[in-house]
Amino acid sequence: MTDKFEISFIAVVIAILSFFVYALLQGTTIGYQPPSACSVYPAVNTFKSGVVEIQPGVYEVRIVAARYYFDPSTIILKNPKKVIFEILSKDVLHGFEIVGTNVNVMVLPYYQATFTWDVPSELKGNFMIICNEYCGNGHPNMYAELIIER
Amino acid sequence: MNFKLEDRFSKIAIVFAFTVLAIGGMFGLLQLLTRTPYSPIQLSPDQYYLSLTAHGVLLAIVWTAFFIMGLAVFVISRELNINLNKYLLQGSLILSIVGVIMTTAAILSGTSNVLYTFYPPMNASALFYLGLTILILGTWIFAATIFLAFIRWKKATKSAIPIATFGVLTTLIIWLEATPGVAIEVIKDLIPMSLFNTPVDVLEARTYFWYFGHPLVYFWLLPAITLWYFFIPRLLNTKLYSERLPKVAFILFILFSTPVGIHHQFVDPGIANQYKFLQSVLTYLVTIPSFLTAFTLLATMEKSYRERGGKSLFGWIKELPWRDSVFAGIAFSMILFAFGGIGGIINASYTLNALVHNTTWIVGHFHLTVATAVTLTFMVSSYVLIPAIFNKAIIFKKLTVLQPYLWFIGMTIFSTAFHIAGLYGMPRRTADILYGGLAPSIWIELAQIAAIGGVILWVSGVIFIFNSGTSILKGAHVAMDAGSLFEKVNEKETILDRISVWVILAIIIIILAYVFPFLQIYSRGLSPAPPLPP
Repeated sequence: MTDKFEISFIAVVIAILSFFVYALLQGTTIGYQPPSACSVYPAVNTFKSGVVEIQPGVYEVRIVAARYYFDPSTIILKNPKKVIFEILSKDVLHGFEIVGTNVNVMVLPYYQATFTWDVPSELKGNFMIICNEYCGNGHPNMYAELIIER
Repeated sequence: MNFKLEDRFSKIAIVFAFTVLAIGGMFGLLQLLTRTPYSPIQLSPDQYYLSLTAHGVLLAIVWTAFFIMGLAVFVISRELNINLNKYLLQGSLILSIVGVIMTTAAILSGTSNVLYTFYPPMNASALFYLGLTILILGTWIFAATIFLAFIRWKKATKSAIPIATFGVLTTLIIWLEATPGVAIEVIKDLIPMSLFNTPVDVLEARTYFWYFGHPLVYFWLLPAITLWYFFIPRLLNTKLYSERLPKVAFILFILFSTPVGIHHQFVDPGIANQYKFLQSVLTYLVTIPSFLTAFTLLATMEKSYRERGGKSLFGWIKELPWRDSVFAGIAFSMILFAFGGIGGIINASYTLNALVHNTTWIVGHFHLTVATAVTLTFMVSSYVLIPAIFNKAIIFKKLTVLQPYLWFIGMTIFSTAFHIAGLYGMPRRTADILYGGLAPSIWIELAQIAAIGGVILWVSGVIFIFNSGTSILKGAHVAMDAGSLFEKVNEKETILDRISVWVILAIIIIILAYVFPFLQIYSRGLSPAPPLPP
């Protein structure tokens, strides 16, 4: 490369990407992490769903995703700070998205996904939970509701 | 030299591609209107998912692959001035077409509504998977045909690889790097699943699929970029700003196209954060060749203006041949691809991805890349390829100018609406966005705006199919020496032309990026799920 415009352009590109990678690295140390923890769960019918407040403001929410419902279909949380989700699919691939938040996870059949959601303190009201991965003809009917009371 | 055989291959492949484009585009319109609340056309859910499967498979895989095969044969035979092996060429075409017909029959029969990602344990008919396997086999034989001819040429001439050929070879290398992933998934998991009800581990299958699924986008994109490099200097009567930088860009695509598939699985449980992070960074690296391409092409445009004595800083933009359909189509492709690229960086970002994963943002994104940068480029290039390969003149010249403008307007409306709706969480792949009345009203408004864009796109597509179809059938004969499109270059080869070196390096990077995620998946132990019908 002898052309000075080419060289300066490449320098600009490298600078931009270095900044992006720096931002990514910052992202790994603060706040949101992708939902990556899981365990195999072949005995899908033994999985018990439910909502438990394990400490003040800390909830453990166990959810079954199946064609075409989430169980429980309404989740009510009072003053949540932290929610530990444990989700399992009993049949095919599903998605779990709380609309308007950064909760978005693939729910794989015969696997249990575990992830934590730090609930923003100003969040309250009703939120849609939708399946966002095609799971069959009833896919558009697969949704639930999250209610956060403050 | 006589290129009758090669041209016949290209003609069949391109006519087949146009047919598939017409069918797939029709499905696209139907399903877009279905998911638009209060639109007059409403498919039932099973019709909608049949349509979505057909739209995805026919357009993302078949339309692109067949147009690319037709283009590749044309470029290789004319630019290198060589003939290809007759039997391999015919065999690859027959296998590919048979595979597509099998898969399409499976889709249209209504038994295989599994979308173009066909995630198990949702089970399509065996015909669907067998057809895909035969198609891939056909494309491998096709790639072998091209490489055998290229090696023969290389031994005879020992010269540097001309730029369009370099682009074609890069495309095929990426295809060969990527397709083993989907071949393993289909042969090891999905065919046994559909024939014998064997359970399938979804995490493993998804990882193989996306190993293939992301480099697939560069397989689409590279021929489009090659056409940009080819047409822009010719339309502007100049030379490329640099002959070397495009080759560097192609090599970077060879190196970094494949080890990035996990950025489609950032919200998949079961793959550790550090591997996700690594592939996020690798995806950033694959933007470098796109940046280099943008630089070279824009510099070429400005250079031609300065050569004609232009002085103003931005005057070259106004002076570009905006009334030329090929130029306008390529320029629109480049503009929308720039936005597609910026969106792609967001998608590939380790953390930001969670906001957009499986929302309509993604659909808006890839309609800028595959459905504009690639498809619009292929469309306007056809206005040159039809005279060059079919020896037929385009009948409706004015329509060729209108068509890319309509596509640009339609896509801008459609894609912008879908990007914004995605930020509001509107999911993709759903036949009905109302969710029993819970859906926010902004979703409905944006879906309706997107539908307007979709109708404009469809009109542009109909104009294209009508114009190119009638021109191929009834156009006046033109005696065009297609070889004259290519200039003869006889430079000495450099390290950039030693493709095998770059392929070996690419394989090392791919292994480094994928060995650990797969070790993690296998060492945890698989958890196969039994198949279920769609």
